[in-house]
Amino acid sequence: MSIALDQVTKRYQDQPVVNDVSIEVGEGEFFVLLGPSGSGKSTLLRAIAGLTGIDHGRISLHGRDVTHVRARDRGVGLVFQNYALFRHMTVADNIEFALRVRRMKRADRVARRKELLKLVALEGLDERLPGQLSGGQQQRVAVARALAHKPQVLLLDEPFGALDAKIREELRRTIRSVQRELGITTVLVTHDQEEAFALADTIGVMNHGRLLEVGHPHDLYAQPATRFVATFLGAANLLLARQSADGIRFGATPVNAEGSERVQAGREHEVVAVLRPEEVELAAAREQLSSNFIARGAVEEVAFTGALERLRVRLLDEPSAAQLLGSGSAAEARVEVTRTQPERRSLPLSAGMQVALGARRLHVLPTPISSFLACAPTESEAELLSREPLLESLSTRMKTRVATRAIDGLGDSPVPFAGVAAIAAGDNAATTVEWLLEHGAAEVLVLPRQAPSPTRVYIHWTDEGVRRATLAVSASLLRHVSAEAVYLGIVPEGAQGTGRAAPMRQLLDARSEAQTVHNLEMRTELAIGETVTEITRNLSAGTAQMLVLGITDIHQAGTAYRSLLAAQPGWPVLIVYRPGESRIRPEIAA
Amino acid sequence: MKAGRREPNVIPGFGITLGFTTFFLSAIVLIPLSALVLKAGGMDFSRFVEVITSPRALASYRLSFGASMLAAAINMVFGFALAWTLVRYDFPGRKFVDAIIDMPFALPTAVSGIALTAVFAGNGWIGQYLEPLGIRVAYTWIGITVALTLIGMPFVVRTVQPAIQEVQRDLEDAAETLGAGRFYVFRRIIVPTVLPALLTGFTLAFARAVGEYGSVIFIAGNMPMKTEITPYLIVIKLEEFDYAGAAALGVVMLAISFVMLLAINLLQVWGRKRMLVSR
Repeated sequence: MSIALDQVTKRYQDQPVVNDVSIEVGEGEFFVLLGPSGSGKSTLLRAIAGLTGIDHGRISLHGRDVTHVRARDRGVGLVFQNYALFRHMTVADNIEFALRVRRMKRADRVARRKELLKLVALEGLDERLPGQLSGGQQQRVAVARALAHKPQVLLLDEPFGALDAKIREELRRTIRSVQRELGITTVLVTHDQEEAFALADTIGVMNHGRLLEVGHPHDLYAQPATRFVATFLGAANLLLARQSADGIRFGATPVNAEGSERVQAGREHEVVAVLRPEEVELAAAREQLSSNFIARGAVEEVAFTGALERLRVRLLDEPSAAQLLGSGSAAEARVEVTRTQPERRSLPLSAGMQVALGARRLHVLPTPISSFLACAPTESEAELLSREPLLESLSTRMKTRVATRAIDGLGDSPVPFAGVAAIAAGDNAATTVEWLLEHGAAEVLVLPRQAPSPTRVYIHWTDEGVRRATLAVSASLLRHVSAEAVYLGIVPEGAQGTGRAAPMRQLLDARSEAQTVHNLEMRTELAIGETVTEITRNLSAGTAQMLVLGITDIHQAGTAYRSLLAAQPGWPVLIVYRPGESRIRPEIAA
Repeated sequence: MKAGRREPNVIPGFGITLGFTTFFLSAIVLIPLSALVLKAGGMDFSRFVEVITSPRALASYRLSFGASMLAAAINMVFGFALAWTLVRYDFPGRKFVDAIIDMPFALPTAVSGIALTAVFAGNGWIGQYLEPLGIRVAYTWIGITVALTLIGMPFVVRTVQPAIQEVQRDLEDAAETLGAGRFYVFRRIIVPTVLPALLTGFTLAFARAVGEYGSVIFIAGNMPMKTEITPYLIVIKLEEFDYAGAAALGVVMLAISFVMLLAINLLQVWGRKRMLVSR
């Protein structure tokens, strides 16, 4: 491996800005770190360069551990967004800077400089000052300067940020060809997905300091695993669909979808599906669709953007409109559609026209947290609960919705529960949790009032049978909060031999599974003692802690773990329930 | 000027403002200076030469310009360090230190003179420890330099501060990834970038020091040939009602100051030309 990051963490004032990131970049690979501003991508790049120290983890370059090696001894070349050229030096002096530092002979320096200037197509500009060059030329000089000392790794921090579109494209091509020619391992940081697609062999998407997904550009676009990647890489309509053993339904209509997992007969999941704007088919009537009908809609807006036509279509069928995510209310549900010119010609549309929408291809996200359902005895209390800050921030970050339901009396529920049920912490919480789990809910979030966004999430499960599900839910949660994940393994006091070894093995299994299956970096802690006491002790140790608890028996919630669900002192507890047989059911990964 | 007339400017009244500039500069600077030269011209040339080349006058020039130059140089080094600390580091009381820098601007110079004398005199707070070491500060050229350093310090700090703010961290980071050590970065990147501002600060501090009177006379002791600065010599001439002699010394100061400032300015222009092409 050319660059290997192992659980790299960087905190500023106790807030992790880079959170347990592990990356491996192969020899000669062009790796693009993509993420919105503030996602920690630049900090990570600076950490690789050695300009920023890290609080935890290891960095190695070409097999050499450089975690504690100074920037100047790491042998990397770094290019900055604002060029960072030495303005009092000529182009020649700028490029030769690294060579002068190394006391290279003049003749060799000149030869190397000429070679580099040729590489970036700036021959003959040796004696200019940076101020006399255009932005694009300056950045070329910066690239040449960064390559002068033949670094083994080239790092580029938003190198095109300050340039206009045309020059940007030209420079992009130059950098790609230089990279290919030298075969140098390269990491580029950008917030521009188009740039990432144009350059990358591999893209890593970051958000809130976490590395969410790593993959080939095409795979990430076609089969994202997280809603952030789905919406950040290109436009996406997110839909709530229902998945059962028979297939996937959107509202009442079955749709064909890729990425569907096997689901146990008789059970039904709510899932989040990605519908790319270009995969939406529009027709005048339902019968004319060549793909699966999903809803009727009215065209609201048509915009011409050159090669493509962009439309916004409001869904007319109330139930399906309610299943569209990312819009405030059902009445505002809009589907983004793009059409090519031939499509446009065959069915010209203008605002106000009614159409039938079909989905050519739907990708189901393998995310176990689809939506939230705030449950309380009365509708108004449920409404109040749905506005709890933690619930609001989670749903906003997950781009999903919070529905409400009154569950007075805990009688029989006509509609099975879908998504994550949320209830208020308190004395009755345990009873309510049991009732919800009996009525189809698979995850229940127990919320104390005004709980802060967690900075540390403890993960624990009572039975190995629920490990996968708990990890999947934890991974999904942790992708959307900047908290560190800690698996808490508990050894009963006085345990001997196998009683001791088993928790240790579980702990190691848990970590490797979190990493390989869910791309979740997780710490592990081992405690000795009684389970609930140890969990309580750990939760009490900090201020903003949260617990994800996997159980296989409904009644565990009401008995052993009852005390964890109290209103005071109160921690958010996310209960993940999978019945015993889930041991054999392949749980949706990540 | 032509362009100014043809094209309407954002700020109107080019004629008025230029007129005012000329008037102000004349009334406050040029006319008094010409008067000085005229006054000196009132005496015959051999007398003029005799006054300005008297051993006492020559010694005072040496002291005035030498101590000023030395004080400005000290300020350039330590003022830079001060400004660097204020810009680059965050520490408790930084705002307070930043405010204190301006104190010598505001203090009546006589007050600083008395204060320095009290501290550095043989029985003063610091003087009493230096005396046994054989270092006499008060009533020597060292004391004069100390006083001139004090009053010139804010000039350097205030001119260099914005320049340091402009040195982007990225430049240092870039140099570091290219293999440069800290000292190399300082010498090759930071100093050249800050140099024009540093020269300006030096010029201002020097100019101020040459003209300084109030704070020096207390600590100098004013012994002829030893610790007598030119401005003090001029005052003595005035007290002897030798106006022409005072004016003659004034003209010499004017000439030397002008030549030195011109030289430093040319140096700056040369330095700027390398730095400020576009952007």
